[in-house]
Amino acid sequence: MENHVSYALHILEEPVQYLALAFMALMYIIKISQMLKKPIPPEKAELKGDRVAGAFDSLLNVLKPWSMESTRNNPYFYIEFLIFHIGVALTIGATFFIPLFPSLMTLTVSKIFMIFMGLAFLIGLRRIYRRLTVPEIRIISSPDDFFAITLMTVFFAVGFGAMSLWIKGSPDTGWMWIFFLMTTFFLLYVPFSKISHYVLYPFGRINFGRIFGGRGVLNKNVKAPSWNPK
Amino acid sequence: MSEQGDKLGAEGARKWPTKPEFTPEMLEEMEKLLPAKLNRVVAASLSGCIHCGMCSDACHYSVSIPEDKTLVPAYKADRFRKWYKSRYDWLGQIFPSFVGAHKLDKELADDMYDKLWGACTMCRRCTFNCPMGVDYGMLVRAARGIMQQVGRVPQHLQDTVDTHHNSGNNMAVPRDEFIETMEWIEEELQDEEGCENFKIPVDKKGAQYFLTLNPREPKYYPLTIQASAKVLNAAGVDFTISSRYWDLTNYALFNGYDPDAKEFSMWQVEDVKRLGCEYLLAGECGHGYRSLRWELPNWVGGVPFKITSMMELLAKLVQQHRLKLAKSVWKGHRFTYHDSCNIARSGGIMEEPRIIINAATDDFVEMEHNRENSYCCGGGGGALAMPEFTPRRIAAGKIKADEIKATGADIVLQSCHNCTDQLKEIIEHYHIKAKVMNLAELLAPALII
Ligand code: SF4
Ligand code: SF4
Repeated sequence: MENHVSYALHILEEPVQYLALAFMALMYIIKISQMLKKPIPPEKAELKGDRVAGAFDSLLNVLKPWSMESTRNNPYFYIEFLIFHIGVALTIGATFFIPLFPSLMTLTVSKIFMIFMGLAFLIGLRRIYRRLTVPEIRIISSPDDFFAITLMTVFFAVGFGAMSLWIKGSPDTGWMWIFFLMTTFFLLYVPFSKISHYVLYPFGRINFGRIFGGRGVLNKNVKAPSWNPK
Repeated sequence: MSEQGDKLGAEGARKWPTKPEFTPEMLEEMEKLLPAKLNRVVAASLSGCIHCGMCSDACHYSVSIPEDKTLVPAYKADRFRKWYKSRYDWLGQIFPSFVGAHKLDKELADDMYDKLWGACTMCRRCTFNCPMGVDYGMLVRAARGIMQQVGRVPQHLQDTVDTHHNSGNNMAVPRDEFIETMEWIEEELQDEEGCENFKIPVDKKGAQYFLTLNPREPKYYPLTIQASAKVLNAAGVDFTISSRYWDLTNYALFNGYDPDAKEFSMWQVEDVKRLGCEYLLAGECGHGYRSLRWELPNWVGGVPFKITSMMELLAKLVQQHRLKLAKSVWKGHRFTYHDSCNIARSGGIMEEPRIIINAATDDFVEMEHNRENSYCCGGGGGALAMPEFTPRRIAAGKIKADEIKATGADIVLQSCHNCTDQLKEIIEHYHIKAKVMNLAELLAPALII
């Protein structure tokens, strides 16, 4: 497509967004280094399994819905999770592709982006409803939980609106401005919000994988299981 | 450590100063203790929860008592997390209520006491169902350790630890009484047909296996020792029981006080070295097994011997055909097996019990949730040593009782003394016609000697 955003919108994307991105990266570096400074509990017991294999196994948990009862018994929840997170990646990605690589955003690509944005928007609405109405979810929800999911849901809607105008040949719209501004806000806000959980995800998963991998609970096909007398 | 023949346990008796409620001074002290508890697993578990609620159906408390929403795992952990966020979460320090942070005050501390002592057995079933890998075992133990250090710990649980500290075992069984009990059990064993030459060697130097026991056995369940000894003798296993540090329990795993956990472990390590055994053999006890097998080497910085368990040894004996068993003994009985959380999920022993059971019976039915997916029976985490929470403990056992009932089994097998007591209580409470036995008790009557 030949769509190009205006120079002003380009400014918002190039220096402003990059600054926001740098800020986010800095915050993450601080967050990660704080976590890395914490001591790892020692493991001096003779292992039954493999801690490294356990860590990998655990990290890939996100791709294995059968590995947890919570997703095994509820495939809908897992599919929802997948679509939602692909939607997040594509929506944020769109704010970079549109101004920087408009040629990549062909009609087909744009439509795929829009499908995920639309689905993620609906999932966002369902998640807000669930947080409000399911008592065991509501009782654990903080304002940040509501704010984060609402913000994401609005973001998907705005992205969808901006993209639908984009594919009709109107790149420089109010929708697009809001869309880009929201991305900037995200980059600044996310490090302080629960949305930054993906930075902590590897820590939690690796910790889990090392402990239970070493004990032979995760990767049960260990070379010398203790129940094998040979 | 005392020399042989001396008093067992620590020099000088101790009574931990427990407190009936939190005071401002205690809260202040807790603030000072928090940073040292934040290792990487605890810190990641406190900051990583996204409040997705996927763990809600994983916990036996929330599943068995669905009307009380404050029993869902994330709510319980949040009693600790709120405090943590008020100190370490960037937004939590500026806008605490926005992220659910809360300064540690008496109300929050009381809630933490109620939920983390009385509504969590540290069974880690939620951990296995958490996409973020939040480790409730470590998180809850850290919180308990802080509360315990300022004196806010369930009295009976702390008494159990104090008794262990003062006497070298958690039921204050004197050494001479223990030796007499072993001699008496040996006589009883030798009265059984074909067992005339069977022995329960006490303090035998150079034995291959150093067998440890739960103090409930010499006190209340001597027949389980007899059954274990019978099986080991029948298979020709070279084992001994120490007259000194034979207690494999370590309730400091539950109250979170590391110096005691380390001290109890050290006594046992020294005792294994004294007798020069190749293996430290954990008897059938869930937390005892985990404490010895997986925690002891960390508490004492490594050990110069191997550590195994009765479950693993018995499975090995079966597979090596060192036990001849007559399944006909159990004809007409149906069995099911309860996986103790500390043995299966936190211990990695899942197939061994099944090898043993299938060698002794043809009628074995799994519960719906088994192995690492097994629901906690409700007796873990020191729950049986906290009588103030008994009604909740029994209520939380409903899901396990339902699963036992569904198998139609009349014998529930398990390998843990806390599980034994809890299973017996819930079986009675929920009107199930079944008895509870451990694995040695399954094998002993079926032995062809
Ligand atoms: S560790 Fe066990 S008892 Fe504690 S919250 Fe998790 S599932 Fe419930
Ligand atoms: S599953 Fe994990 S992340 Fe989700 S609410 Fe439970 S502890 Fe938190």
